[in-house]
Amino acid sequence: MSFQVHHPQSVADAIALSQQFGDAGRFIAGGTDLVIQINRKRQTPAHLIDLNRLDELAGIAQTPDGFAIGALATHKAVERHPPFQDALRGLVEAARVVGGHQVRNIATVGGNIANASPAADVVVPLLALDARVSLVGPRGARTLALGDFLLGPGRTAREAGELIDCIHIARLPQRSATAFLKAGRRKAMEISVVCVAARLTLDDEGRCAAASLALGAVGATAMRAGEAEKALVGRVPDDAALRDAAQAAAAACNPISDVRASARYRRLLVEALVPRALRICVTRIREGRT
Amino acid sequence: MRNPLTLTINGEQHDLLIEPHWTLLHVLRGQIGLAGSKENCLEAECGVCTVLLDGKAVNSCILLASLCAGRSIVTIEGLGDPEHLHPLQAAFVKHGAVQCGYCIPGMILTAKSYLDEHPDRMPSRDEIREAISGTLCRCTGYQKIIDAIAAVAAERAGKGAQEDAP
Repeated sequence: MSFQVHHPQSVADAIALSQQFGDAGRFIAGGTDLVIQINRKRQTPAHLIDLNRLDELAGIAQTPDGFAIGALATHKAVERHPPFQDALRGLVEAARVVGGHQVRNIATVGGNIANASPAADVVVPLLALDARVSLVGPRGARTLALGDFLLGPGRTAREAGELIDCIHIARLPQRSATAFLKAGRRKAMEISVVCVAARLTLDDEGRCAAASLALGAVGATAMRAGEAEKALVGRVPDDAALRDAAQAAAAACNPISDVRASARYRRLLVEALVPRALRICVTRIREGRT
Repeated sequence: MRNPLTLTINGEQHDLLIEPHWTLLHVLRGQIGLAGSKENCLEAECGVCTVLLDGKAVNSCILLASLCAGRSIVTIEGLGDPEHLHPLQAAFVKHGAVQCGYCIPGMILTAKSYLDEHPDRMPSRDEIREAISGTLCRCTGYQKIIDAIAAVAAERAGKGAQEDAP
């Protein structure tokens, strides 16, 4: 194990270092995944570029239409952010099931996205919220949909020298709610077997004005269940509508069998968790926690 | 090649020469001689290496030491001493929360971080369980550890300790 650690003081310097080192360089924020991968010799970077001194990547800011979550915002910061406790509750629920407190205190949202694990928890509600990823790099800044940023296990659309600046999410309309559910072998300190995030907006007649469903750990990347969303829009979210959405989501996902669960079991979990997450959204909207 | 690094540990500045791949745990135990932070899984699963970084519990076993420059590090040695126990240390003694003791430094710092994060309210026993879920004890079954943490939390919240629901 031998690498050098660099501590750039500006985003421009971090980008320049990343360009200089190319594939031999890796950005490091909390390092809760990367350091373990290095210790297991699954990653052998010659250079680590420490992002922790780049204050402009930290914090969660209000924007005219929503929020900008800095790449260095920790899972704990998302979990505890007061404006996220109501309509964006699904984001809080995902942030608080990642690792133990010790990991959440240092592991960043930007790192979770850049890692592109198919089982990343916070990515799933972000996908359901139509999150957009802002990148800065040698050729300037660009923003793309989170769904377009994630290409496969460990693979993203990040280009050489680019780093994640922040993640944008829009404020939700009135009568909206989100929920996140995770199935693992135990409650805490667990990688998801399946996780589901739902976002629902009801109109004044109680019909689904908008619906969004995202699934984790059932495909190469976290994914949206578009057919399931279509099955909901315009309908009252009754048992029949939720069942249709659950079946469409189970049909759309593409799970594998591995050490944690069989593909069949994962599909059954999707079918069970999707209506449960939607019901939580309906309850939250009715209780006015939006 | 070793690089210079200044770390603030338990309020004291330490000027060190470190290898880039050394973790904070390695530096604490091997360079400073603070062996209260324990070494076990080295993958942030068990929590015995927990220290406070700017007041927040982190796993020192996977934290590169060079990322800690300019930040405040507190280990169990910085929390109290035998004459002046921290309230959590006193409560662990009073409630008999310690058996082999290996997890206890991490357990106490995990609890301190959590209680400091929630200063104004009495957490439920379930919340305390969740708070220490990243710190494993293989001896006690956790009951007395939770008793001790709940007692300190109750003292802070200014009311009697909550009883466990049956």
